Amino acid sequence: METMSPLERILRGIALTLVVIFFMFPIVWIFLMSFQTNETILRIPPSVIFTPTLDNYAALITGKLTTAAGTLDIAFMRNLGNSVFLSVASVALALVLGVPAAYAFARHKFRGSEDIAFTLLSFRFAPPLLVLLPLTQYFQWLGLSNTYFGLIWVYQLICLPLILWIVRGYFEDISADVEYAYRIAGHSWFSTFRKIALPLAGPGIAAAGLLAFIFAWNNFVFALVLASADKQPVTVGALAFVTASGIQYGQIAAAIVLSITPTLALALYAQRYLVEGLSLGAVKG
Amino acid sequence: MASVTQPGARTGGFRISKRVLPYVLSLPALLVCIGILIPFFTAVIYSFQRYRLSQPWARQFNWGENYLNFFTDPGFWNTLRISLVYAGVTVGLELLLGLGIALLLQRRTTVNNFISIMLLLPLMTAPALAALMWKLMTNPGFGILSYFASLVGLENFRWASSPDTALLTVVLVDIWVYTPFIMILLLAGLRSLPTQPFEAAALDGVPRTFVFFRITLPMLTPYILTATLFRLLDSIQQFDIIYAMTQGGPGDTLTVFQVEAYLNFFQSTNVGRSAALLIILWAITYILSNVFIKNWLRLRERARGEA
Amino acid sequence: MYDKEKDLISAFLRGEVDRRGLLKGLGAAGLTAGTAGTLFNMMSTQALAADFDWKAHSGKSLKLLLNKHPYADAMIANLQTFKDLTGIEVTYDVFPEDVYFDKVTAALSSSSSEYDAFMTGAYMTWTYGPAGWITDLNEWIKDPSKTNPQYGWDDFLPGVKASCAWNGQPGGALGSEDAKQWCIPWGYEQNNLSYNKEMFDKVGVSVPKNLDELLVTAAKLTKDVGGGVYGIGVRGSRSWATIHPGFLSGYANFGQKDLNVSADGKLSAAMNTPESKAFHAKWVQMIQESGPKDWSTYTWYQVGTDLGAGASAMIYDADILGYFMNGGDNKMAGKLAYAPFAANPAATAPTPNIWIWSLSMSNFSKDKDATWYFLQWATGLEHAIFGATKMDFVNPVRASVWKDEIFRERLNKSYPGYVEMHDISAPGAKIHFTAQPLFFDLTTEWAATLQKMVAKEVPVDEGLDKLAESINRQLAEAGLG
Repeated sequence: METMSPLERILRGIALTLVVIFFMFPIVWIFLMSFQTNETILRIPPSVIFTPTLDNYAALITGKLTTAAGTLDIAFMRNLGNSVFLSVASVALALVLGVPAAYAFARHKFRGSEDIAFTLLSFRFAPPLLVLLPLTQYFQWLGLSNTYFGLIWVYQLICLPLILWIVRGYFEDISADVEYAYRIAGHSWFSTFRKIALPLAGPGIAAAGLLAFIFAWNNFVFALVLASADKQPVTVGALAFVTASGIQYGQIAAAIVLSITPTLALALYAQRYLVEGLSLGAVKG
Repeated sequence: MASVTQPGARTGGFRISKRVLPYVLSLPALLVCIGILIPFFTAVIYSFQRYRLSQPWARQFNWGENYLNFFTDPGFWNTLRISLVYAGVTVGLELLLGLGIALLLQRRTTVNNFISIMLLLPLMTAPALAALMWKLMTNPGFGILSYFASLVGLENFRWASSPDTALLTVVLVDIWVYTPFIMILLLAGLRSLPTQPFEAAALDGVPRTFVFFRITLPMLTPYILTATLFRLLDSIQQFDIIYAMTQGGPGDTLTVFQVEAYLNFFQSTNVGRSAALLIILWAITYILSNVFIKNWLRLRERARGEA
Repeated sequence: MYDKEKDLISAFLRGEVDRRGLLKGLGAAGLTAGTAGTLFNMMSTQALAADFDWKAHSGKSLKLLLNKHPYADAMIANLQTFKDLTGIEVTYDVFPEDVYFDKVTAALSSSSSEYDAFMTGAYMTWTYGPAGWITDLNEWIKDPSKTNPQYGWDDFLPGVKASCAWNGQPGGALGSEDAKQWCIPWGYEQNNLSYNKEMFDKVGVSVPKNLDELLVTAAKLTKDVGGGVYGIGVRGSRSWATIHPGFLSGYANFGQKDLNVSADGKLSAAMNTPESKAFHAKWVQMIQESGPKDWSTYTWYQVGTDLGAGASAMIYDADILGYFMNGGDNKMAGKLAYAPFAANPAATAPTPNIWIWSLSMSNFSKDKDATWYFLQWATGLEHAIFGATKMDFVNPVRASVWKDEIFRERLNKSYPGYVEMHDISAPGAKIHFTAQPLFFDLTTEWAATLQKMVAKEVPVDEGLDKLAESINRQLAEAGLG
């Protein structure tokens, strides 16, 4: 490892450069596109020389979209707000429910524990449409259709199994000895959990939460089917620029950029937990 | 270890017996999920009915006819084949690529850490929006990738709009979005491997390829399994990318399970067939995940035994 | 204040002064256009209110489900008029067209009472009607106590009106005696040629008169215009939307049908006749030679955007799509022209298939009478005139709007040939599909077959035989064949 021939160094550098180009180029290109008008985007052949404009972002933020057929109202910022709210609330609920359960599975071998754990994980793998289609009926009867509450509940199908699985592995990998010692000293179960177990599992919980957040944020079909226009996330909202009187490519690009920004910010903030959290977490044998 | 005897659980003023405690902790999570899962059984019932929304008077149980029809329906076999091919190809390539990148980034340097976070960007792009991005880039007129293709002599490369390259194009998008997921899991795995075996091997002058295949890869297996499991089960259910890029076309090139079921429900309003398709998809994922989890648990036990 | 003007407007509303006279008079009185508009709306409201109790449902509220479309925009721009007129509060949800109909299906299939009325196309009502999701509107239209005397149901273009009525029998003729009015037409599209006049002049071709000429012209345009411009834009995605515009319009012009209806009401596939095969072969050849490279992903948006951006020389698609591309910030704005098109050289006139954006009433609406108040206002003459002259509400479905001088003049000025095209093809314009519940299965598979033919995965003859076989099997399975 420590010795690396110059040739290998160069080859590694080239490989890494290619990887970075492949994964970053689309994002950079869309970023550039978001500062262009439809006219410059539609040039043949494509070119990187253009006068940047902030019109696309201005249109998204003010909610006024100018098209061939006049001005349209768009609710993109509201979509963005919905995405933030739905993802944060769903992950928060999944953490509240999932972390204690993960702790239980990791620390207590009880009757049916593996079955329950497996059942919970298998929910992650039910085809979403299978559940979604009859669910519209049930939500109608329960009065949950078109409520944030109902949506957050359904989002648990995405978030909860993921958190449970990763955090469980993390708990299992940290020794129970410290907790045991603390309990012997006369502290209650709850304070042991809160003061010892939770802080130790911090990175794992953070990593699991971040992954769950990403998957919740990227969801498309749940809200589309279950909620009305004022509760739609950005993934649906970005389609609004495909209008009968033309496609607003610049605004689509700007919408994509804006929709990545919050998750990116979160990931940059939580990056030090991500690799560490996952490495000690459920993925380990 | 988990089986340490513990004093009776005490929470604030009241006591919960230690036998009940784990259930108290895990049941809320289970209940929340099961509530959502009740519709699953409704869908099973639908799948045994002749049920078209546009012909409500003809709705009746036809016991398995929806499933039996699949045997003689070339569309179904196409769906099954393309779903398996798609899942196999995407996961296989992503695994190779993800492993390669993780090996490149294994050292904890500032540059490597920065690159690994940057590479997560595609994962944060919603697949539905990623498909939209790639559609813009592969547009035959102003698309930058079509332009590049024409520069290297592929004048008429038609990306997702030709049956010859449609699969390739959606696989490319899938790889772009999800390789970072595998990469980050494997990177986490690589960085947590114990250092002694590698140091010992280096001292003995063991060839690098040997080290990789005999030490690194086996120790990484649990991580690879987990990553494969999550990706395989997601990939066989792919919907967003394919639906946004081609709606299953051109022709029947990309009518994977969830796309076909979605079109069956929302366009043809043939609920019976849609539900039957999804149940079969569910059965496939259930069997796959069972196999994987069994293996995973066994590996885990073994790792524990060795430790 | 404004008494003289009010008199003038009243005179107009009574029909004593024509529209131009009215605006001229108001202009002379020194009124700005804005004020005139407000006054006009105020007075219309009074006129409408004269012999009908518009306030009967005051204080109630309705919710609409709308597609993101210029028609919806025009309605929203005028919505305050309705609120003032009736005292009914109206809210609405707008969804992008990509997901709009899925949203409608999701809402209605779960019996959601969230929405009282929604936008739809006639084809969709062939599912919604039998499913029991929408209401037969005859009950309201024919009840004088519920419909205002000036509504003018006879003013609607007959072919368009009939296309929205179906008796619910698979294969039943549209607009028959026993038909139920599942929706009220709002705006509609005929499928004809919209072309780039500048490019036609540059290459020196004239407007094609039939399918063979279309193939030749499109090929020449592809070859000679240069800059990567292709000859003809048509839709090609794997969807019903590929079949219904230019394709079916040309197909019907040769007297071909999608399905045969036997005397005892059984349906069978009709697209494997020799004439149909010949038509398909030419259509496929046209796309291969002169269509967009990624035709199989083409929807309304790509067909339109290419024409507007100057990437295609003509389209055989909705006339209003060509209309939109001739305005706004489109590169080719002002350079487009329009022509009627009869694909069959032996045909006397075009037979465009039509798409009708319509309004339906949800069967789960909590207050159908109040909902009908909205529907009759939104499809009424006042709003149609407002939309056609101030917004992009083309094509109107009322005969009297087409007679409106201001409207005709506005079109003639900036959209050369548009009015003439409409008038020539309107008599043959109707829905040429057979009304039946498997409409979407049939058309999606048809589009997929076309894609295979264009990609040369299957020869035309064999592809159509297979398609017919598959359609017949599905019809039998559904108890229709």
